[in-house]
Amino acid sequence: MALPERIPVFFLSGFLGSGKSTLLNQVLADPSFEDTAVIINEFGDVAIDHLLVRQGETTISQTSTGCLCCSGTTDIRATLFDLHCAASAGLAPAFSRVIVEMSGLGDPAPLVNALMAKDNDTQTMRDRTVDSEFYLAGFVTLYDIILGELSIERHFEAMKQIAFADRIVLTKTDLAKDPATLSDIAALPQDLRVFNATAAIVDRAEADPASLFAPRPYSVIERGEEVSGWLALEAVLAAETRHVHASNERQRPARHGSGIRSFSIIHDTPMDEARLSRFLSLLQQSAGQHLLRVKGIVGLEDEPECPRIIHGVQHCMSDPVRLEAWPDGDRRTRMVFITSGIDPEPVRDLFSAVIAGTPSPFGRLLSPISATLAALSSRLSSYLTTLSRRSS
Amino acid sequence: MKSFVNPLAPRTNRLQVKSTEIRAWVRHLVDLPEDTPVSVVELACRDEGCPDIETVIGIMEANKPIRTIRVHMALAEVTRNAIAEAVHGDSRPRLDSAR
Repeated sequence: MALPERIPVFFLSGFLGSGKSTLLNQVLADPSFEDTAVIINEFGDVAIDHLLVRQGETTISQTSTGCLCCSGTTDIRATLFDLHCAASAGLAPAFSRVIVEMSGLGDPAPLVNALMAKDNDTQTMRDRTVDSEFYLAGFVTLYDIILGELSIERHFEAMKQIAFADRIVLTKTDLAKDPATLSDIAALPQDLRVFNATAAIVDRAEADPASLFAPRPYSVIERGEEVSGWLALEAVLAAETRHVHASNERQRPARHGSGIRSFSIIHDTPMDEARLSRFLSLLQQSAGQHLLRVKGIVGLEDEPECPRIIHGVQHCMSDPVRLEAWPDGDRRTRMVFITSGIDPEPVRDLFSAVIAGTPSPFGRLLSPISATLAALSSRLSSYLTTLSRRSS
Repeated sequence: MKSFVNPLAPRTNRLQVKSTEIRAWVRHLVDLPEDTPVSVVELACRDEGCPDIETVIGIMEANKPIRTIRVHMALAEVTRNAIAEAVHGDSRPRLDSAR
């Protein structure tokens, strides 16, 4: 089938911590991807991801704090229009491909609908330009073999991300060592067929990243009846939303499950590495699967010029990655937390207690979390009491 | 006798099973033909006075606008009675024609 003479746009999705930024970094390191424009979408009030993605001279990176799927379909079209105008005016490098790294909590339906040209969407010059310059050329979803099953069991968005994909990439397969896990991985493609009957399913360790972002026609029909239904229903809901909230932009509906929220901690001075490690460990132990994601860039006392990148997903905390230099002029520690059912205050209290030695009402940490975690309360409290004694 | 469990069968997913169950309830309650597409999604809701999450069901009959049913609870918690109430239960028009 002949492909349109327009710029292909690819969506890169996957639930929180599935490895989207890592894959994107690998792709952008390939010289054949130099002419790629990247749109990075984050759920959170402090943008971090754009610092974690390597940017070549010809890569344009744009970020949006707040999900594109929550902020309305026009945002993705506006961003594409801005990219086109900047390149056309010579204000930014020309590009021949766009990759949109979706938020891990992103709902695909409004974004895919946004790139489907419709008569009533072509009323403005911006929309006509987007329709004539861009087309949806692929939808890649990463499936984390460690936490993927739990994610699609608990989060509707994760299930939809799998269903919309025309390429599914199994990530973290290199962490599987024991025979039982390897057997589970072998069965995964069959399990995922329940959600998506037609997507190509590949192992991240064996996949050619370039082939994932080779233009092809993205077919909604091939994604199945469920996806077609979601898109049709999404169009109706979007029309209702425009009608109801036309006079109040601040009241756009959110699309994320109950209790999911994002908050950040910003710390001005470098910190002790051991204390940082203790903070993350305690948070992980007490919050468990309610800590959907933590990521950030951290300044350390021992090497203040070489920040560390931290990554954590639910129970799994990766080793910090050392950078040779800060990626921008901001030398503050910036950490973003995405949680389910955990308020920011207890986490900030814990951070203050461990990093700065400030007394903290630890009971508050556990109250919003499920009752099963209450048993950790006494252990956490005694641990920090000991820590406090050592500090003094 | 225990029923046979096929160890090679694909694993079932709680949300997907629930979606299928909801579709069956809707077809029965609204008296829809089996081949009428029914779509189910879970969305967060910020309407004042509403729970913060809702399940939206779309009924897509041929040559008709899509009808929506809104149930103000998480998809996993939706019951047949909740859908019945949304469809028939009170004086407000809960089964709306899409504009």
